[in-house]
Amino acid sequence: MAVIEVTDLWKAFGDNQVLRGISLSIEKGTTYVVLGASGSGKTVLLKHIIGLLRPDRGGVTVNGVDLSTLAGKELNDFRRIFGMVFQGAALFDSMTVFENVAFPLREKDRRISWDELRARVVAKLRVVDLGEEILGLWPAQLSGGMRKRVSLARALVADPEVVLYDEPTTGLDPITTDSVDSMIDNAKERLGVTSMVISHDIASAFKVADRLAVLYDGHIAAQGTPAEVKQSQDPYVRRFLSLWFGKQ
Amino acid sequence: MKGLRRAFEDFGELILFGVETIVWMARPPYRLELVLAQMSAVGAGSSFIVAITGFFAGAVLALQGHYAMRSFGAEGYVGGFVAVALVRELSPVFMALVVTGRSGSAICTEIGTMRVTEQIDAMETMAVNPVQYLAVPRVLAATLMFPALAMLFSSVGYLGGYLIGVYVSQIPPGPFLEHTREMVNVHDVLHGLLKALVFGAVISIIACYRGYSASGGSRGVGEGTTRAVVMSSIAILMLDYVITFLDLGT
Repeated sequence: MAVIEVTDLWKAFGDNQVLRGISLSIEKGTTYVVLGASGSGKTVLLKHIIGLLRPDRGGVTVNGVDLSTLAGKELNDFRRIFGMVFQGAALFDSMTVFENVAFPLREKDRRISWDELRARVVAKLRVVDLGEEILGLWPAQLSGGMRKRVSLARALVADPEVVLYDEPTTGLDPITTDSVDSMIDNAKERLGVTSMVISHDIASAFKVADRLAVLYDGHIAAQGTPAEVKQSQDPYVRRFLSLWFGKQ
Repeated sequence: MKGLRRAFEDFGELILFGVETIVWMARPPYRLELVLAQMSAVGAGSSFIVAITGFFAGAVLALQGHYAMRSFGAEGYVGGFVAVALVRELSPVFMALVVTGRSGSAICTEIGTMRVTEQIDAMETMAVNPVQYLAVPRVLAATLMFPALAMLFSSVGYLGGYLIGVYVSQIPPGPFLEHTREMVNVHDVLHGLLKALVFGAVISIIACYRGYSASGGSRGVGEGTTRAVVMSSIAILMLDYVITFLDLGT
């Protein structure tokens, strides 16, 4: 069953046509990667899926609900089915690790007990291989990889159905990139979440994806399983993928 | 022409942001703990600098008042002059300018940094309205604390005026205090407090809006902060005139 359906999505900012008829479908419990170079429209697509932007044409349905029919509080409440990991982690720098991870839970249920709050925060930190010793640290005291992990723990803590990752491996060293890839797989295997990853990291994309799409100039140049995309005859896709696979 | 149009659009967006902030104030959840934290940051955090500037504002008023009034033998009225000037005019205006430099810029920088590092986007994806979470507590705190800070400015300023007037300019303390009682009334005090309240609301909305609409990394945050301080300073002086005119007429 498709959790996310994007149908013929068009979006322009002024004269700049960013998305040109994107259509894709993400099945429950799978990891879907949207691969593309900078400026290809990946982040704009992601913002449509979470309802931060409205399409000029076409639409996005999540669990059968057309996002364009929601606004204000309804849209806000609907977003609770998503967890999102941002490119720069986007941890609240005026809050400790504990306060960051606990934030979605506190906002969802302001009467939640301290014991339950702590237990759930610690449980989600364990999913991303972090221990209680970092609860009192500030985001500025964490390494890049740890920030990404805490960000994923925060995205997972309220048990979302869908986790969105915006460039999760950008700027990370190979070892940390590998651990972030494992973290994405872990979240899928252990919690059964549906994941959508926006990335330009070809190696990482082919490692975590069940299905992937290559975005070029606002349209999908190829999509399918990693094996299918690898066999694509589209000239852009071949050139883009050869940057990585050519080195192998 | 394009610049003028952009300025009008910007002003319109600021007004809409202010209206949105007021609408979100009325809606639950009410985050009292955030309001108290901001009251501490804006109010208690600014009290020392407000007291210092207040003391010297009162002291210089006493010196200038004595200089102007002694030529026609009205030194005794210096106390009343200092008190009226402070309570009606200098306290709300000077205090607001000082707190804009301190807290207005801090609010704008904090929210602007959150904007450019995607912390505000993150908040939205967690079904939390950023205007309600970030702007409402700051605007409420500033609106409540500005009158208190204006009272502090007036009190310390009058003390400064008294010490300089009585011990430096050798004005007898009796007439100094007596004419203060004669010249200052409750209406003067309320006039000053109303100004402070309006300044608190307007300045905090400008600071939050400038931070909220920041873009382009740390440079964008810096530019937003500069514009917030300049715009707030102009707004303080313009609104000061409007409120005084409405109170006194022609």
